[in-house]
Amino acid sequence: MTVTKRKAVWLMVKKGFLDMLPLNLAVLPWGILCGSLAIQRDFSVLEALLMPLVVFAGSAQLVAIELMANNASLATILFTTFVISSRHFLYGLALRDKLKVLPTKWRYSLGFLLTDELFALSGNSKAFVGKLRLIYALVAGGSFYLFWLLWNVTGIVAGSYLPDLTQLGLDFAIAVTFIALVVPTVTNLPMVITVAVAALLSVLFKLLHFELDLVVAAIIAMYCGYLTDRWQCRRQLSNQSLIASKELSKMKNNGDES
Amino acid sequence: MTLLTIFLMAFITFGTRYLFTHPSLPIRLGPKVAKFLSYSAPAVLTAIWVPIIFVQQGQLNLSITNPYFIAASFAVITAAKSKSIYLTMLAGLITFILSRYILAM
Repeated sequence: MTVTKRKAVWLMVKKGFLDMLPLNLAVLPWGILCGSLAIQRDFSVLEALLMPLVVFAGSAQLVAIELMANNASLATILFTTFVISSRHFLYGLALRDKLKVLPTKWRYSLGFLLTDELFALSGNSKAFVGKLRLIYALVAGGSFYLFWLLWNVTGIVAGSYLPDLTQLGLDFAIAVTFIALVVPTVTNLPMVITVAVAALLSVLFKLLHFELDLVVAAIIAMYCGYLTDRWQCRRQLSNQSLIASKELSKMKNNGDES
Repeated sequence: MTLLTIFLMAFITFGTRYLFTHPSLPIRLGPKVAKFLSYSAPAVLTAIWVPIIFVQQGQLNLSITNPYFIAASFAVITAAKSKSIYLTMLAGLITFILSRYILAM
């Protein structure tokens, strides 16, 4: 019994690691960029290390480094961080019913590790249910944390030798990862609507330099997906009741004849 | 000063992730809200990747010689056909590097 249990744990550890591996590799350029940019903008090594260690957020780190280098006010830096991170409120809400029942240490650690990437791997309806799935999530999220740190350290070490990486098109690695994660899940009409609205609005808001572009685009898109689903359900229901009433009248007619 | 800023930032990033998983918050999610939230992953991830493809330096780039667009198209097709994350990344990255290289000539 213990052997099979240990085997099951090991399988989950392996699966969590392997599922996250492509995402860990995809953020290599971003991590190096974050680390090297911090050094190039005159952060000390300790400060540059603390960014991935405690802040642990790709775009928030990058933007904050530029803001700090330009002597932006503390309020500006913190507000911008908040705006960029606000999408995580949605993740916490979406996973609330599953995470709120967990013991504190699991909640804190999975909460800390709840990045876009871990959330993207948490779509299964049984995610976080049972010890094995928690181990899966911890290994997936934890390996992402370690790889993010590793890439940042690489950037910090190589920092002053690297050219300015911001113009190299490194952001495509992130885009292609998210394409790989999203496209296979678009299997029904509500998903098509959600993705289409999110795509259109996010581009529009970006062009308008709207600060909350990402979150507002996502929320409107989610609502459109939700409305589409409701509309489909209602149509299905009314179709069913139509069929049912036809059957009923047919039965009645048959009854009259006999 | 920088250290203080970093720790305050950490407080914010952790706070936004953790807040709604806290059990004693007086929030109860009905089935309607749960359905709405089930669209959060495709919505947020799409709102991140699509602007990377079409907006560069604050400008809309809808040209078919946009290497981001060419590579993203290949990636979308590969993802839809194969559903494999590795294959999609490989196809996307190779097309991206090739099209950038060829278009720069």
